[in-house]
Amino acid sequence: MKNNNVHYQIVIAGFGGQGVVFLVKVLALCAGNRDLPFLGTENHGMSQRGGAVSCDIKVGEFANPVIDNGQADLIIGLDANETLRNLHLLKKDAYVVSNSDKPFPELPFHVTLVDGNAKALAGEFPIQGLNVYMLGVALASVKDFPFTIEEVENALRQINAKVADQNIGILHQAIDDIRGNEE
Amino acid sequence: MKKTLMGNDAIAWGLVHANVDMVSGYPGTPSSEILGMVQSIKHQLDLPIYAEWATNEKVGFEVAYAGAIAGKRTAATMKQVGLNVASDALMSASYIGNLGGMLLIAADDPGFHSSQTEQDSRVFAKFARIPVLDPATPQDAYDMTKYGVELSERFQVPVMLRPVMRVDHAREIIEMDPETHFVPNEGKFQRDVARWAGVPRAGRLRQGHEVLERIETIKAYNWEHHLAPRFASLKGGELLILAGGTGYAFTKETLADLGVEADVVKIEMPYPLPREEIVPYFEKYEKVLVVEEPYPLIEEDLAHPKVYGKKTGTMHQIDEMKKEHILTALQKLGIYEGPNIYEAPKIDLGFDVPDRPPALCPGCPHRDIYYAIMKVFKPKKSIYPSDIGCYTLALSQGAIDSILCMGASVAMASGFSIADPSKTVVATIGDGTFFHSGIPPLLNAIYQDHRFILIILDNSTIAMTGRQTTPERFHQSIDIAQIVEGMGIKCYEHTYSHEMQENIDFMKHIKSEFEKPDHRGPLVVRVRQFCILDNERKDDWIPNLFAEVDPEKCVACDACTAVYKCPPMAYNAEGKIEIDPFLCAGCGGCLDVVCPTDAFQLDKLKSSGGLFEE
Repeated sequence: MKNNNVHYQIVIAGFGGQGVVFLVKVLALCAGNRDLPFLGTENHGMSQRGGAVSCDIKVGEFANPVIDNGQADLIIGLDANETLRNLHLLKKDAYVVSNSDKPFPELPFHVTLVDGNAKALAGEFPIQGLNVYMLGVALASVKDFPFTIEEVENALRQINAKVADQNIGILHQAIDDIRGNEE
Repeated sequence: MKKTLMGNDAIAWGLVHANVDMVSGYPGTPSSEILGMVQSIKHQLDLPIYAEWATNEKVGFEVAYAGAIAGKRTAATMKQVGLNVASDALMSASYIGNLGGMLLIAADDPGFHSSQTEQDSRVFAKFARIPVLDPATPQDAYDMTKYGVELSERFQVPVMLRPVMRVDHAREIIEMDPETHFVPNEGKFQRDVARWAGVPRAGRLRQGHEVLERIETIKAYNWEHHLAPRFASLKGGELLILAGGTGYAFTKETLADLGVEADVVKIEMPYPLPREEIVPYFEKYEKVLVVEEPYPLIEEDLAHPKVYGKKTGTMHQIDEMKKEHILTALQKLGIYEGPNIYEAPKIDLGFDVPDRPPALCPGCPHRDIYYAIMKVFKPKKSIYPSDIGCYTLALSQGAIDSILCMGASVAMASGFSIADPSKTVVATIGDGTFFHSGIPPLLNAIYQDHRFILIILDNSTIAMTGRQTTPERFHQSIDIAQIVEGMGIKCYEHTYSHEMQENIDFMKHIKSEFEKPDHRGPLVVRVRQFCILDNERKDDWIPNLFAEVDPEKCVACDACTAVYKCPPMAYNAEGKIEIDPFLCAGCGGCLDVVCPTDAFQLDKLKSSGGLFEE
């Protein structure tokens, strides 16, 4: 499964306060641990909380951190509208993993939607864990996701040991939810 | 040692590994994290480094510059528009030079992500006749930071590092020194009046000649150490691309994506360029394309009939670099004839995705204060000059009429009050911006008797750039009210209240004071507030009064979404306002006055502790 011939572009979209950048740091650690080149960048306006935020992540041999139109392999959206706003960055047959309370229109992508807000409201996980939950959804539903569950777990431990158990719990909850649905 | 770092963190480590003893600057996106990271490395490793925010960029530059004159290694950090403020000092510093290395870090923001202009600091380096380094990636930024400090010391002139946002805020796994062995430099000022205090005409003319000689020497150095080996290996052909900074990174990827072959030379030091050495190599090529951002600096310095770029309309002239711009240029030059692979795929959702316009944070007291201002000082009878900071986002509330640059609200209030005395001028400025450059224009207004209201929104932090400390926060004896009183006028004081009516009543009081027949000159108000993201203080202010909507009472009148504009408020599928429970900060600001039908009510389940008791 592990290979070092990765050339993968991921967009993470959401709004300020949702922990978009946290996911970038997690994936950067995953790449670093396998000695893969990594470039990432953040796009946000002047707002702090509540403003649109998106991050570009490029794993493999790239020279600049920006993802151009029609290039990304995957988008992980923590908010439905922010996912929809960034679809132009995806290449054909790319993967869309998004938090959304309603279905998306027919799209030329592989789409996995989860109503993370409803799950958080129902007390399945704290809303602060939405970012890690959606990463778990991506791990479980995206073919060719560049990192393994163990690699993500290790990165979650490195980034914050104190809340690692909780984060890893949320990650597996998402994976179980998706795999449970598939069965 | 390999480490995943943001560009700004890489620069901070570069400064530490270059034994820089003093770092002084002013926050500004995208530069702000540099100094903050130096502070954190200093504390983590207990290093004898001075790393402090200055009151503005000019002050920051001058502190660092004096350190370098006295033999320390120093750096000043700022964003590109901050360099405008520091430019007076920079222009003379170039004449006078320094002994210890001094790196001036000016972070550019092509694409106007968070800046009012897209100016190119490399052009400022040329204007000041100092060398400039243009990193393409965080790794470059780390390497060039160390190199720039050495270069400055070698040539005894400040050196500029010009990272753009896509370097500052990029993350990369970089290779850096495995260990930190910080060796402080001794500060020992040596009196040399002719140099440090050179005066016009003779002293500065002599230094002016030295500047010209120095820049020729650095030009030769640039050729010998950077460019000559690269040009020597050129094969020749249809196209030569000269690429600076991020232009190089974008060019490399575009060529790989398109399968186009071309010789590419990376220009690390875009000024001063040895034109005489470079131009003869154009003979080997049919065309030369320059890829740089945001201004055509390299292109102008290497102007030649074979050179294409922004000035020939081949490359884009404004907004940030994209691979698509390079693809288009290659098409225009007849090098690439394939499809535009960077064209956005056509996706018809069948509906428009709602905008997420820039807004003040949920729970931000600026929103309530502007709401109160607008209630009392009606738009038709008022002019609202404002300033640079988080509160600029009150634009969406219609509470701001003009924005120019840091500190301009005060002097523009003067100008508006003279030009249109039929209106009440109500200017707003944050505490950080007031300290930065709001004091001299207030002095001017007082001694010229300019009639306006100035409201200083004092949250005791530089919020927008990441909550850096203000002088008042650090030394509480620096008090805005005392500064105003020291200028000879009263400072009206108000403390933000989560009960909107109290804020409105205060503004009414200010209006009546201002309209008294014997009132002269500016009326200054300081409103004590907090920043909702300020973990040290916010708990003392937030009452934890969470709101919910009584759908029976909501008549969908838009009063909250159009005027109060708090992000958690939005219409639900039933056409009633609903409050997003994940976004609501519990400030309670909307519970009174804001809704004409009183539909916002206390969510008793969620609201607990704080000021609320059953």
